Amino acid sequence: MLQGALAGLAAGGLYAVLAVCLTLMSRLVRVVNFAQAATGMVGSYLAVWLVVHTGLPEWAATLGGILLGAGLSAGLGWIVCTWLAETDTGTRSAVTAAVLLLLISLSFILFGNKPQPFRPVLAGPAFQVGGVVVSQVTVATVGLAVLVALACRLLLGRTAVGVRLRALSERPTTAELLGIPAKPLSIAVWAGTGLVATLAISVVAPSQSNDPTSLAMLVVPASAAALLGGFRRLDLAVGGGLVLGVVEGAVAQSDHLSLVRYFLPLLFIVALLLWSQRKEVWDAAR
Amino acid sequence: MPRVDRRFALPLLLAVLALVLGWGLSVGLSGYFVYLGMSAVVACVAILGLGVVTGSAGMISLCQLTFGAVGAWVVSALNLVDAPGGFLVWLLLGGLAAGVVGLVVGLPALRLRGVNLAVVTLGLAAAADVTLVQIQFPGATEGVAVQRPGPFTSDRAYFLLCVIVLVLCCLAVHLLHRSRWGSAWKSVAFSERATAAAGASVRTSKLTAFAVGAALGGISGGLVTGQVGLAFPASFTTIQSLALYVLAVMSGAHLIDMAVFGAVLWVAVPELLKRWGVPQDWGFVVFGLFGVQALASGTNLGLLLRRRTGNEIAPVAAEVPPAPEPVPIGGPVLTVRGLSVHFGHVTALSDVDLDLPEHGVLGVIGPNGAGKSTLIDVLSGFLPRAEGSVTLDGRSLAGLAPTRRARLSLRRTFQQDRVPPGLTVAAYVRFVARRRLRGEEIAEALAFFGCPPADTPLARVDVGARRLVEVVGHLLARPRVLLLDEPAAGLPHEEHLAFGRRLRQVPARFGVSVLLVEHDLDLVRAVCDTITVLDFGRVLASGPQAQVLADPAVLKAYMGETELA
Repeated sequence: MLQGALAGLAAGGLYAVLAVCLTLMSRLVRVVNFAQAATGMVGSYLAVWLVVHTGLPEWAATLGGILLGAGLSAGLGWIVCTWLAETDTGTRSAVTAAVLLLLISLSFILFGNKPQPFRPVLAGPAFQVGGVVVSQVTVATVGLAVLVALACRLLLGRTAVGVRLRALSERPTTAELLGIPAKPLSIAVWAGTGLVATLAISVVAPSQSNDPTSLAMLVVPASAAALLGGFRRLDLAVGGGLVLGVVEGAVAQSDHLSLVRYFLPLLFIVALLLWSQRKEVWDAAR
Repeated sequence: MPRVDRRFALPLLLAVLALVLGWGLSVGLSGYFVYLGMSAVVACVAILGLGVVTGSAGMISLCQLTFGAVGAWVVSALNLVDAPGGFLVWLLLGGLAAGVVGLVVGLPALRLRGVNLAVVTLGLAAAADVTLVQIQFPGATEGVAVQRPGPFTSDRAYFLLCVIVLVLCCLAVHLLHRSRWGSAWKSVAFSERATAAAGASVRTSKLTAFAVGAALGGISGGLVTGQVGLAFPASFTTIQSLALYVLAVMSGAHLIDMAVFGAVLWVAVPELLKRWGVPQDWGFVVFGLFGVQALASGTNLGLLLRRRTGNEIAPVAAEVPPAPEPVPIGGPVLTVRGLSVHFGHVTALSDVDLDLPEHGVLGVIGPNGAGKSTLIDVLSGFLPRAEGSVTLDGRSLAGLAPTRRARLSLRRTFQQDRVPPGLTVAAYVRFVARRRLRGEEIAEALAFFGCPPADTPLARVDVGARRLVEVVGHLLARPRVLLLDEPAAGLPHEEHLAFGRRLRQVPARFGVSVLLVEHDLDLVRAVCDTITVLDFGRVLASGPQAQVLADPAVLKAYMGETELA
């Protein structure tokens, strides 16, 4: 059970990183980005393709993939900022659902629908706790999640750019009238989350089921984790991701519960919604 | 009578024509195209369901084919045990089962808006996807094929059966759209607050839409099993659900003809790509691109094809009819005592007392930020945390939600436009009135306020006239009390006094007592017997019109220097 739980921590770290990205997107650019994991998937696939077909060294290919992930995300951000600047979160998010469809289909065309021959970026154990092995991948993803969350917190709380971003997220029109460059900043947020998501997926993809649909659907457990923080709090998003990963890992140990494992993120989401929505909320303030 | 007949005759005629066309295609097409046609018809049932959830009720549902899998599962399981009733009964049960699953899934998410439902449905689709691959459909591993029903065993005959089912589903959806449910779906998509204020439950409205959409998905899935014999998870993947959603959005599937068109695209695009030797995955890339385009531009094919030209219809400046015999003013209907509302450290209302007499018109005036709209929100139940007591006909309203209050005959209108553009004037008025109305009754009330005729789509009515239609709808509900929040705000100023003269007749004509929040003092003077003045959330003065308007404190606080001069 403990072995399973610790094994789940690697996936949990990935959920946490993606949940941080989703939370940032929701807070700063008012969108639940259903294509968050899909952009990472396409980026990491490009890295594999580069290694296999051009013989580029591993690190350079991975870097290329990460840049593509960031670029894709930025492009999507440009579309949303240009044509959907005034619309509500629902419509903006629906656009990302269409993009999710587009990216999965595109990767079927470009890379096929089978798992990719990933070569692990990191491999092997990092250390042992009471006879249980903790892998390097686990350390890397959990570390990345905490690091990204802390960095974002510092960025938003302590820097001039952070203040501008917060102003944009809370009072977009006022911020724009004050001369804050809304579009470049928003696109930068899209690019940043695309970069981080691709990085995390590149690290974890070699050690888990990595067909296009599985990777793109990582957005489901990630949104479950982000929901724990109400799509606002980064610390709870990280915590939610890690807990979900650990529980999934523990449940995966039992054959009887293997079906339950698939429904865990959904149950997590439903329970959180029931809790957060126990009081009546209206669609408009007045 | 002839009008009623025509309303039902056209859909029935179209249904018969569709059946004849279906029969013609079933005998005329080649075997291959009959099979493709089956796929299109089956997809059309599923898209029709999405049209209800996404198009009419404005929710994002990304798991339509998971509901299809539920239907397919039920049909396969019943086929495996050879349950009594045969395929058609199984199909119906499959649809019902999917509807129930839809209810269960929708329940927790419905309090939240769009995105959360999208997260839940995507989660369900992803979980069902991997689960189905692991457990497979009943009978699939043993190779027990689903038996098509008696006279419909051949491909051509089964295609005709699919068409019959589709036509029945279309008729059902058409009738639902014209029913209270349909109005509630369009209303809730536009404004939850206005839906509740019309006495309809927001949650029930969303749940019915979700359940109907899911049931149609289930029927579609059941039809698939009859089409292919054995159901496989590959027919119900997440990515196909996503594609179906995108297709429903870009075609405007709440319109039945557009759902049919969407289904044709669903089959034609991959087929054409195949013929041109292009990988079929490009089909979904194309759908994705068009979906982004449709969402970004806020239009769809249905809207583009039906775009109407012409100006917005404004209220008609008509003669105010002669006043009927006035009704005597009675005792208090609505009594408010010690009402206070705090938003954090801000006190919006403080210790407000009010009495609205039966058949009276009470004006509530005050400068901006005095708490007038907050007062209406509290009285109609939208701010449950207020202190103090509100009684209607001696009955305390404490703890009652807006929907309950509306059903108890306390109605309100909104300062903002909260009239759903998707309905016609008559459909909206019937929905808001919540009672059986004769056509003449509606026409008479609309004419009295100078509103556009009953069959006008609200999308073509300008904001001022829409707000009059809102008032008419609530008046036709024959409430005890109607709270009006600046009802004349969208009207040209010269119309204000005419509106006031009509409002003056409202107690006698509709038997209702009115609380009027208004900025326009001329209108208030013309209409209100008694006036209450609010200033910074407190009652500054209250009493008969002449006395209150002469009060120096009121003059100073409310009218300012210009009016005094």
